[in-house]
Amino acid sequence: MNSVLSSILSWDFISSGIRVTTPVLLAALGALVAELAGTPNIALEGTMLFSAFVGVIISGFTQSLWLSVIGALLTGIIMSSILAYFSLKLKTDIIMAAIALNIFASGGTIYALYLLTGDKGSSASLKSLVLPNIDIPIIKNIPILGDILSGHHILTYVAIILVFLIQYMLYKTPLGLRIRSVGESPDAARSVGISVFKTQYIALIISGMLASLGGIFLSMGYVSWFARDMTSGRGFIALAAQALGGTSAYGVALGSLLFGFSEALSFSLQFLDIPYEVTQSMPFIITVGALAFYAWSKTKSKRNKEL
Amino acid sequence: MKSTKRYEIYRTLIAIAIALALGYILILISAFPKGDIAFFEKLKTAIKDANKAFQTFLLSPVLKYRRGNWIFNLRGFIQWMNESVPIIITGLAVSLVFTAKHFNIGAEGQLFLGAAIATGAAIYFPSIPIITPIIVILIASLVGAGWSAIPGYLKSKWNASEVVTSLMLNYVALYMGLFIIKTFLRDPNAGQLVSLKFSDSASLFLLNTRYRWHSGIIIAIVMSIALWFIMKKTTWGYKVRLVGNNKYFAHYSGINTQKTFFQVHLLSGAIAGTAGIIELLGYYGRFVWLYSPGYGWDGIIIATLARNNPIYVPFAALFLSYIRVGAKTMGRYTNIPPEMVSILQATIILLVTAEAFLSQMRQKAIEKEAKKSEEVITGGEIHE
Repeated sequence: MNSVLSSILSWDFISSGIRVTTPVLLAALGALVAELAGTPNIALEGTMLFSAFVGVIISGFTQSLWLSVIGALLTGIIMSSILAYFSLKLKTDIIMAAIALNIFASGGTIYALYLLTGDKGSSASLKSLVLPNIDIPIIKNIPILGDILSGHHILTYVAIILVFLIQYMLYKTPLGLRIRSVGESPDAARSVGISVFKTQYIALIISGMLASLGGIFLSMGYVSWFARDMTSGRGFIALAAQALGGTSAYGVALGSLLFGFSEALSFSLQFLDIPYEVTQSMPFIITVGALAFYAWSKTKSKRNKEL
Repeated sequence: MKSTKRYEIYRTLIAIAIALALGYILILISAFPKGDIAFFEKLKTAIKDANKAFQTFLLSPVLKYRRGNWIFNLRGFIQWMNESVPIIITGLAVSLVFTAKHFNIGAEGQLFLGAAIATGAAIYFPSIPIITPIIVILIASLVGAGWSAIPGYLKSKWNASEVVTSLMLNYVALYMGLFIIKTFLRDPNAGQLVSLKFSDSASLFLLNTRYRWHSGIIIAIVMSIALWFIMKKTTWGYKVRLVGNNKYFAHYSGINTQKTFFQVHLLSGAIAGTAGIIELLGYYGRFVWLYSPGYGWDGIIIATLARNNPIYVPFAALFLSYIRVGAKTMGRYTNIPPEMVSILQATIILLVTAEAFLSQMRQKAIEKEAKKSEEVITGGEIHE
């Protein structure tokens, strides 16, 4: 027990929690923007997967970080555009269209991986790059604080900045107001001259780009390869984190942290004799529990208001 | 409504045709040779190889080429039939919740956990012919119903998104199922993680012993007919459809919508729960999965293709398993990855669910319909 406690109270635990949180947080912010626009984006999983793939392939063939990041972002934009086109123009149910995109990404990445590298499992044969970790000058020399704040992955910092940016965008800019009003009531928004299609399209694009960043964190963050289905449900977890966090980016960040740290905890608990399957399923159980609690308290407060 | 129905059929057929054309292009791309030959030479060999591969893809579940003749491919046919069983069943389960406009996508978890727990019964329950498989399947269905009840309860009671909770529970079911197999039911003599063998009379009746064609296909089709009957001919089925069409209207006409939703989740889970164990009883004779087999997701495709109508579900499933068996056989003889099928599946879902795809055609169909019915009402003359 002591070894578990000491491992939980260590910096390693915190940094592994932050590491697990990063991709989920990025995608969850994407889930938030789409959700507020009234177009829930279940395709985050597929978008992350395809972007992770494209990032690795481009960096493997061109050895350029910039090109691979741009390529991954473009992938996110294309996936979101397909989703937007089908759901907004052709009136496909958005959940169905998203499920189709997820299926497409899961099989399509394997197909393309095999064509390009001759391997169906992973891109290990390609020499691809990773995005760097960043040391913050001055702060990195402060004991303890430096350990916590400095030396993380560049996308971790990007994610943190994006939490504030997205919050600002949603609640302080005209675009945010349009997104929220379209999500609240498309008809009312239309009647005051807001283009519902354009707004939802923009929201889905932003959502896809955020998921792309989450995707390349997986394949170019701490590893330098792509493996089939390597997102393993993180896009879905991001949806759960958004559902937990409600309508603010800060809430969504907390929801993602809850998941990230419960997963980090599940790594630590493996030192005990608890079976692997139990620790692995813990983050999901905690998420369902938290979701249930959140839903319960919301209905309760609604009832109290009615009384 | 006849011509609008015809339009639905056209749309499905066109979606399938586009997907198959796309399939041909993907095969052509994978068949493209490498090396320093001229482009047209390459294209020529690619087209030749692609045509051959495409032929295997399209025909192998029913026909094979032997000594200059096309003969019936019994093995392929049985593989086709067997592969369609679990996805017919999950297709039914998903179409039921989708009819009620809920998106419980937990069929995957329900079938996995149902199969894992029922495996215990299939191993240890006293071996009685006919009775044992029935009891094992019933246990799986109870587990599936119980597992589906969680998101169902959370949704109908507190309005927690069933999409998210059922997704999360899929992972929990996967880990729990593997844990049960590993700790209690593992066969210590087998090289990899599989359960002990089922007891002798637990397995399903075989229609062909050589290639193990099991009677799961009969069970699946009976289930489709039963569910079709429930949905179209009983008051409960009518209620579910009403609730799905307009829950406010249903509520004001005195239907307890929350209760109906909950019942839908229960029945759907009960159906999904049996999908996995039926395949294990019929084909493998023990628990063999190390990860989610993905049938729950297939169920979504099938429900979509079948427009949530249980009677169309077997056709949709037969179609899907047909192209899969075709792709797998093709993958054995060429180096074209069978995963390309999922690109075709995605295309089909997108086009079939796109309300406005080919909408002009539909518009015309509706206008024609309206004119015709007007003619009937006015006795041949159309008045303004």
